[in-house]
Amino acid sequence: MAELISTKLDPDSHLLLDQPLLRLPHELLRKNLKSAQRHIEIANKGIATSIQTLTTHSSPADTLAALDATLLKAQSLKRKLKALHAEEAILHRQQKARIAHLQELHDIPTIADVKYDVWAQTRLDRLLVDYLLRQNYLASARQLAEAKGIVDLVDIPVFEECGRIEASLRGVHGECGDVREALGWCAENKQALKKIGSILELELRLQQFIELARTGEMDKLMEAIAHARKHFVGGQDTLYGLRAGGLLAHAPNTMVEPYKTMYAPTRYPYLAALFLRTHHTLFALPAHPLLHTALSAGLSALKTPTCHSAHNPHRGMFSHQHSSDKTTSTMSRQSVPPLLTDTPVCPICSTELNELARGVPYAHHTKSYMEDDPVVLPNGRVFGRERLRGLNVKLGVPEGRLRDPTDGLGGAEWAWGEARKVFIL
Amino acid sequence: MDALLTAHNTLTTHANLSTTLTTVDHLIDLLQQTRDNIAGPPPNTTVSAPLQIAKLKGPIRQTFEKAEEDLKEVNKGLNGYQKAWKEKFKGKDGLGMEGSGESLGGGGGGVGLGLGAGSGGASGGLAGQKGLVERAIAMHLLREGEFHVASTFVKEVSAQSRSRNSDGIEEDHSWLDDFTTDSDNVDMEDEHLEDDYEDGELYAPEVMERGYLQRKFAEMYRILDALRNHHNLAPAIHWANVHSDELGARASNLEFELARLRFVELYTSPQPDPSTSDNPDPSFSGPIAALHYARTTFPSFHPRYTHEISALLGALAFSPSLPTSPYHTLFSQEPTRASIATLFTTSFTTLLALPSSPPLLTTTNAGALALPVLTKYSHILSRTRSSWTTSQELPVETPLPGSMNFHNIFVCPVSKEQGTEANWPVMLPCGHVLARESLEAHARGKGRCKCPYCPVEFRVEGGGKRVFI
Repeated sequence: MAELISTKLDPDSHLLLDQPLLRLPHELLRKNLKSAQRHIEIANKGIATSIQTLTTHSSPADTLAALDATLLKAQSLKRKLKALHAEEAILHRQQKARIAHLQELHDIPTIADVKYDVWAQTRLDRLLVDYLLRQNYLASARQLAEAKGIVDLVDIPVFEECGRIEASLRGVHGECGDVREALGWCAENKQALKKIGSILELELRLQQFIELARTGEMDKLMEAIAHARKHFVGGQDTLYGLRAGGLLAHAPNTMVEPYKTMYAPTRYPYLAALFLRTHHTLFALPAHPLLHTALSAGLSALKTPTCHSAHNPHRGMFSHQHSSDKTTSTMSRQSVPPLLTDTPVCPICSTELNELARGVPYAHHTKSYMEDDPVVLPNGRVFGRERLRGLNVKLGVPEGRLRDPTDGLGGAEWAWGEARKVFIL
Repeated sequence: MDALLTAHNTLTTHANLSTTLTTVDHLIDLLQQTRDNIAGPPPNTTVSAPLQIAKLKGPIRQTFEKAEEDLKEVNKGLNGYQKAWKEKFKGKDGLGMEGSGESLGGGGGGVGLGLGAGSGGASGGLAGQKGLVERAIAMHLLREGEFHVASTFVKEVSAQSRSRNSDGIEEDHSWLDDFTTDSDNVDMEDEHLEDDYEDGELYAPEVMERGYLQRKFAEMYRILDALRNHHNLAPAIHWANVHSDELGARASNLEFELARLRFVELYTSPQPDPSTSDNPDPSFSGPIAALHYARTTFPSFHPRYTHEISALLGALAFSPSLPTSPYHTLFSQEPTRASIATLFTTSFTTLLALPSSPPLLTTTNAGALALPVLTKYSHILSRTRSSWTTSQELPVETPLPGSMNFHNIFVCPVSKEQGTEANWPVMLPCGHVLARESLEAHARGKGRCKCPYCPVEFRVEGGGKRVFI
């Protein structure tokens, strides 16, 4: 860490973490537009055909009835469009809020500014809600978003729907999952899925096939064959058709691969994960929670080799004791000598993040960073002379005598002459 | 940024579905009109039904064309937005971010920053530390005072972990015990929610009860609430008294600051106190009450704060005309109250051996600052197709502002490597400090050697003295 780093804020590079923020409303707006287009097309065709048939009718009653039907169609179109428009308005509002949030950053000149802290707090809240949503802790996410007033900055409805479908795929504990909701989602997003070449729908249809074949009953098997004919034929990927065919020849408790894995209930978690990946790709969401990215980068940048060393005087109280096989981990409180220096506790040394940071590489430095006028005590610790002096005064150590602040009042006492000047280049 | 805003405004003003709605309305009106005409034709028209219907076709087609036009407008608006977005974020490719995000968190073994290798470590890294991340989040929520959210979160995590455990997935959730309490509602107004521990017992293992952290933070917020909103210093003063030894050992000014604020409060708010019969004049009741308070509490602060105490007491002489006296700056309450609140929070968290500003916040800030450097580096790596050789250390420097330097750093001047557990700094008799390995390399085979930086010679046996930076 270079000491003379300026605290100037470069907004563009700072916003790397916030890129996906603006994309999602945009993608949703596009989806909105496409459904509007679809509705209009359908209505267009419907109304045009009914008008067409009208001209062949002669009796006024029929004409009236047909006209009424046409009117109904037009009105339902209007209703659908109205709903879409309302959604659009919400999305616009969200988008505006997000742009405003990012705009705020541009108005903040330096990192040291108090406004930056406020902005950073909002950003952290946003990242937390995003993480909670992805891990399926939906109630907490909603509560936190409402408590902090950032409902517009996060995408709760999107994740709620995603979570619902994923949960249905995983199935209630002990039972098989349900592919119907996922299939419904696929139908809604057919074009987009085709554009990215997703195999999700094929996998889901295969799962339906497997379920039908699992029963082993003759009529179900015929249904399965019809199902396969409908869905697996004609695509460029003949693999599914082949696998489906082969499956029919094997009973559900077969030991033959790959049919054993196909029958296994572990397919459902696989489908759930596949759905999740596809969903995120479709909406341009990052695959991993942004919190992970920010935390990894931050942990690395802050970590020093001393954070996990045994000689660290700052080690927090609640460190997790891992036994060798990790089966018993108790949070025990180590008896750490009270921290008597007044430096703020490093976040990595704190209990929350200490274990997390163990696997992370530490930050690279090219220059030493040390307090002014360092002196070394007889026990090997190094302090800046002035700071050492100040701490000793606070401790109430008599004039001319010297203690190591990290040992506190229980440590050894020396004379000031025993502290030698040390040169850290 | 402005381009984005303008694009957005275009969308909200006219490139949206409202125009389509009006078009559809128009269509409905048209249909309705024709229907009415056919159902009950006005008397002076001789238009027949089929003719009416034939007349409909043209306008209907036109309306639909208009609707499609409107939709094209919306599409154009959206495209404009996308262009502005791409402009803004051009070159800041998010892809590198995801690859490096997981690989940075890779386990102690090979940490590849290469984009391909990153996904290989995806099972390790932060994704594998779910329990710990969740614990950090729970502690953060408690710190922020969001007790309801925290309890909902803990409930959801327990529910999910239970269902996962029964599926056979092993996860470490023992930390949950610390957070669940028997009563889910942390009663903020409960005056009896106090920890009657003596100072020495604060570190005793028996104190590890369920919900410990939650209670501590609830207490902190209770005291803060009283301090900030109800202008009531009593809980804070009581807490400071209870912990006065530890606070003193940390040379904290909290107790005195609280006493001083109380003095000021008493002084400036005249209290009608009928019990003091020796003081019939109400305008002096404030200062007199303050004086009483000072007599009881200030002597305990005597050696350290003599100067401040004498200043406060000297102000007593100026009580009738305080605003014009030289002492009036001491008596402005509001900024003092805010700074005392901060001081209290800092002291409280320090006593719990936690950092005073939430570590998640500091870490995400550091991450936001370090990410651009790291992504740029990973781009360069992928372009030159080299890979990252050091697994324990980041390959590139990530500069952070001075407020984020929590430790001293030692970099050996000879080998330019950081001091670590394996290669610690040692001091030569002349006072210069090198890395242990550099010293050994320098003195290999020789009995006496010279310091690389000054003419002092010394004998090598035993190596240099280890220093702890």
